[in-house]
Amino acid sequence: MNPMVAVVVVRDGELPAGADEAVAEAGGDALLAGTGTEAAAKDLVACRHARCAEIGPFAAGAWAQALAPLVAGIRVVVLPASPDGRDLAPRLAHALGRPLLAGATEVAADRVVLVRRGGLVSETHALDGPAVATLVPGVRGVEPVAEGATVEPVEAGLPSGTHDTTVVATVPPDPSTVELADARRIVAGGAGLGGPEPFALLEQVAVALGAAFGATRVASDVGWAPHDRYIGTTGVAVDPDLYVALGISGAVQHVTGLGQPDHVIAVNTDASAPMMAMADLAVVTDARALLRALADRLGVSDAGA
Amino acid sequence: MPAPDWDVVVVGAGPAGASAALVLARAGRRVALVERGPFPGSKNMYGGVVYGRMLDDLVPRWWEQVPLQRWITRRQTMVLTAGQALSIDYRTDAWGREPYNGCTTFRPDFDGWLAGLAEEAGATLVCGTTVTGLRRDGAGRIDGVRTDRGDMGAGLVIACDGVNSFLAKEAGLHGGDDPDHVTLGVKEVLAFPRHVIDERFGVRGDDGVDIEILGCTGAVPGGGFVYTNAESVSVGVVLQLSALAASRLRPETFIADLKAHPALAPLVEGGDVKEYSAHLIPEGGYDHMPDIVGDGLLVAGDAAGLCLAAGIWLEGVNFAIGSGAAAGETAHEALAAGDTSTRGLKGYRRRLSSSFVLKDHRKLRRAPHFVLSDRVQNHYPQLACDLVEQLFTVENPRPKKGGIAAARAALRHSDLRLREIARDAWTALRTFT
Amino acid sequence: MIGACLKWVERRPEVDPLTGDVGTDPRTSGASEADQAALEWALRLAEAWDDDVVAVTAGPAGAEAVLREALAAGAARAVRVDLPAGAPSEAVAAGLAGALPGADVVVCGDWSLDRGSGAVPAFVAAHLGAAQALGLVEIAPGEAGHVDAERRLDGGRRERVAAAAPMVLSVEGRLRLRRAPLEGVLAARDAAIAVRPGPPVPEHLPVRTAPYRPRARVLPAPRAASARERVLALSGALVDRTPPEQVVLDPEAAADRILAQLRAWGYLDR
Ligand SMILES: Cc1cc2nc3c(=O)[nH]c(=O)nc-3n(C[C@H](O)[C@H](O)[C@H](O)COP(=O)(O)OP(=O)(O)OC[C@H]3O[C@@H](n4cnc5c(N)ncnc54)[C@H](O)[C@@H]3O)c2cc1C
Ligand SMILES: Cc1cc2nc3c(=O)[nH]c(=O)nc-3n(C[C@H](O)[C@H](O)[C@H](O)COP(=O)(O)OP(=O)(O)OC[C@H]3O[C@@H](n4cnc5c(N)ncnc54)[C@H](O)[C@@H]3O)c2cc1C
Ligand SMILES: Nc1ncnc2c1ncn2[C@@H]1O[C@H](COP(=O)(O)O)[C@@H](O)[C@H]1O
Repeated sequence: MNPMVAVVVVRDGELPAGADEAVAEAGGDALLAGTGTEAAAKDLVACRHARCAEIGPFAAGAWAQALAPLVAGIRVVVLPASPDGRDLAPRLAHALGRPLLAGATEVAADRVVLVRRGGLVSETHALDGPAVATLVPGVRGVEPVAEGATVEPVEAGLPSGTHDTTVVATVPPDPSTVELADARRIVAGGAGLGGPEPFALLEQVAVALGAAFGATRVASDVGWAPHDRYIGTTGVAVDPDLYVALGISGAVQHVTGLGQPDHVIAVNTDASAPMMAMADLAVVTDARALLRALADRLGVSDAGA
Repeated sequence: MPAPDWDVVVVGAGPAGASAALVLARAGRRVALVERGPFPGSKNMYGGVVYGRMLDDLVPRWWEQVPLQRWITRRQTMVLTAGQALSIDYRTDAWGREPYNGCTTFRPDFDGWLAGLAEEAGATLVCGTTVTGLRRDGAGRIDGVRTDRGDMGAGLVIACDGVNSFLAKEAGLHGGDDPDHVTLGVKEVLAFPRHVIDERFGVRGDDGVDIEILGCTGAVPGGGFVYTNAESVSVGVVLQLSALAASRLRPETFIADLKAHPALAPLVEGGDVKEYSAHLIPEGGYDHMPDIVGDGLLVAGDAAGLCLAAGIWLEGVNFAIGSGAAAGETAHEALAAGDTSTRGLKGYRRRLSSSFVLKDHRKLRRAPHFVLSDRVQNHYPQLACDLVEQLFTVENPRPKKGGIAAARAALRHSDLRLREIARDAWTALRTFT
Repeated sequence: MIGACLKWVERRPEVDPLTGDVGTDPRTSGASEADQAALEWALRLAEAWDDDVVAVTAGPAGAEAVLREALAAGAARAVRVDLPAGAPSEAVAAGLAGALPGADVVVCGDWSLDRGSGAVPAFVAAHLGAAQALGLVEIAPGEAGHVDAERRLDGGRRERVAAAAPMVLSVEGRLRLRRAPLEGVLAARDAAIAVRPGPPVPEHLPVRTAPYRPRARVLPAPRAASARERVLALSGALVDRTPPEQVVLDPEAAADRILAQLRAWGYLDR
């Protein structure tokens, strides 16, 4: 029997980021829970066998109790580390009385590799018993399985008396992020730009290059760039032809939102940053000074810096 | 009138402020040390060498506790032209043992250590708090400060807020900014394994090197430096601000040029840049020192223009400590005497004058102007290097030129007149000896 | 009572590129942006409902720095749960929940800078039998014990939720923490901090830590007519790819190099 299963939260037939990867990591076995699960199962390219539990809108506490019996016999339960997966995995681990290994780049029956420190460090853990893990979306890619998945509805009894949040509405992506999501060229800045002024200049340089401007989560958290500008797993997913990264370390959660750019330029003072390893042209220099130099050459006024 | 919350509020936990607070806390004064950074030294940069004599009185046997990178046991003064280098290399064992002459240390460590001593002595360190102005009583006398977290009442304020002190300006003590008398310091810290530094710089253990450089800043008057830390090397330049602005060059290009110079490249190539920073330095010297005493206000350290950035001299921390301590002592006496007016604080300048702080500054009063002059910046490095090149170039079987002949040849090659050189030599003698 | 969970973390870690060892320094350690936002939301909810904020951290004695910051900003009490740094989320959450019995609302950051799993808040909810609303970008307090909130889903979607006490909220770091007044800062310096023993920590150490290196990715087979074209597409030969190159340049030269490269790739004219 397959020692692994993927648990995937489905909202109105829509799969979360990283669903296919979690299923592939679990060897093709999936338990889909939510609304529109059977339709969603057909969208999974890596699935061999799907069990579908139609249990209504997301409710982490009740779901954990409803789903625990369905996976209790399986050694390793994998969820995508999407927002819903992050929310459900600890509750499921708690209900099952198992340890949680959250934020993995690799999950096997006996071994889990986790990323820590915002993607700077990896930790390998040996598994000596049952566990629940979450897999960071975008870390592995998927190979479609040849034959279609077998789909089997299952009953899951929702407990009464659990106290959960009520879903009021799901809101589609903000139109202001669409420009970024569809952009063919993106110039993005990270914490290495060191302040709000360089970001003002970054925006102008991007315009001069016919590009949209983006940021990392760290840069938008400190307020240097608007929140709808951050790219990555939990931010805007993009897929440009050209990606220019200034002062970005290349954390896994960031680069997994990048799609497959044809050309990548990275600028960093640290030659060994992961972003530099991904780049076609990696330039070791001070990104702030570079930005001013680019602005000069592109005729952008240096007023902001 | 109710007693103010504090006897003294010291603004800025750099070396000047920490020293003032330390002296006052030891004297039993209620003193607050206010720093805008999240911890002392968090935002402060400098070249990297602290000369220790100034600490002897304030912290006896300071060398046993200073957060050390390396002891300076070797000092080089280097003169560069595009393709030449001439160094005076001095090394002494004496600097590598008690009472140690100086050391490299990082500012967050050093400033934190000194401010920590003040705290231990009873001062209250308040970080993450920016002083936004001076508070005045009905009669217009300074009676505290305003901060972004609220007011602090004080019998006396000591401004140690660094170069271009806005507190001194607000008190009307500064004449205003003068870009001719301010230099910009920029610095890179390059990471290397310890043994690489030991090999490249020819040192062992905790020993380190201080290299001061002239003639490396092209058309912009200034100087350069290279210091060894435990596992990194600091490389930087100081540049006269007005000339830098006129040159339209970015300061970082000067560091890049310096690192690429054939005399320095073997020492610094291949290191990862760990840090890049820039900071202004009051380079004006004694002749440009602002007023340092106001009604209820003393000014110390860089805020008082007490820094020596004259080419091969790059000192400020020791003057900051000296003037901070003097300000602390003056404040304590004035509070005891019940007169913190400009008059009651007059002893401050006297105290400074009799200490090395102003003595050095008076002695070196012409140094900034002299060292940043066109001749010293551009012509002498060329002349000196040419001279030595002629002396040491082996041109057998032609006979060697004698020293005088070589000097004449080198001089002919340059645009300098013998009379100018004689005058500069005299200035140099008076300035530096 | 409203709880705010604050973790003491290194904000600017230096990672050894060879060993993956993380250098930490108490001077640059503190609460993350997200945890500061959590505290600010907790204070706002307390103001709206006329309630008190209890700040909690799980960690070693040094972690009390974040509690003092919270007391300065207006928290009424502070509790430290004594646990080693790096204790697993299950133990941390059990300890935090134990320090907040009967809390109406517990506010956390959405994820911690060092662990970054976002799991602690959900575990706390499990322990307290509370509702959870995680990854919030906005909270609108209703009548006491009720909030409407908006949270981020993946792919730029969002979700609106309603929650009632007891509840655990986790928030993104976009809200700035208020500036603590001077009296608060001074009073917090020697305010009492309660210390509770933490739960036993299960021995579950990683067998290896290393700098993060991306895992090889499986790519979907290209959709092309002939096998040859599929191979070409896979090998990347169809896109105009220069071999990866790393250069060390001063900023001016770097700008020239980058613009030249963009021209060579056809993104810029001339
Ligand atoms: C659950 C979860 C979800 C996340 N989702 C996202 C997401 O969707 N998107 C996202 O972006 N992040 C996300 N993150 C955060 C992510 O892990 C990283 O922390 C973040 O991407 C790092 O941003 P950064 O590269 O700007 O900063 P850092 O990692 O701090 O990197 C800054 C870089 O700049 C370089 N640098 C410094 N100074 C200079 C200079 N002067 N010139 C040039 N370079 C310089 C440094 O060497 C460094 O490489 C998530 C994290 C978690 C835990
Ligand atoms: C590139 C460079 C290299 C140098 N190299 C050397 C060297 O090798 N050796 C040497 O001895 N000297 C050197 N110096 C000079 C030396 O750094 C200064 O002279 C010295 O730091 C002065 O100390 P200070 O306490 O007066 O001021 P600072 O060290 O500047 O401290 C001022 C403090 O006040 C704080 N502050 C400012 N405004 C406010 C406010 N409004 N509210 C609250 N706090 C405030 C600041 O955050 C800071 O902590 C160098 C300087 C530079 C720029
Ligand atoms: N040791 C801790 N002490 C206090 N709060 C914590 C601790 N660890 C995590 N938290 C809280 O839980 C949030 C998410 O952390 P994590 O699950 O580690 O990503 C943090 O932002 C904190 O609010």
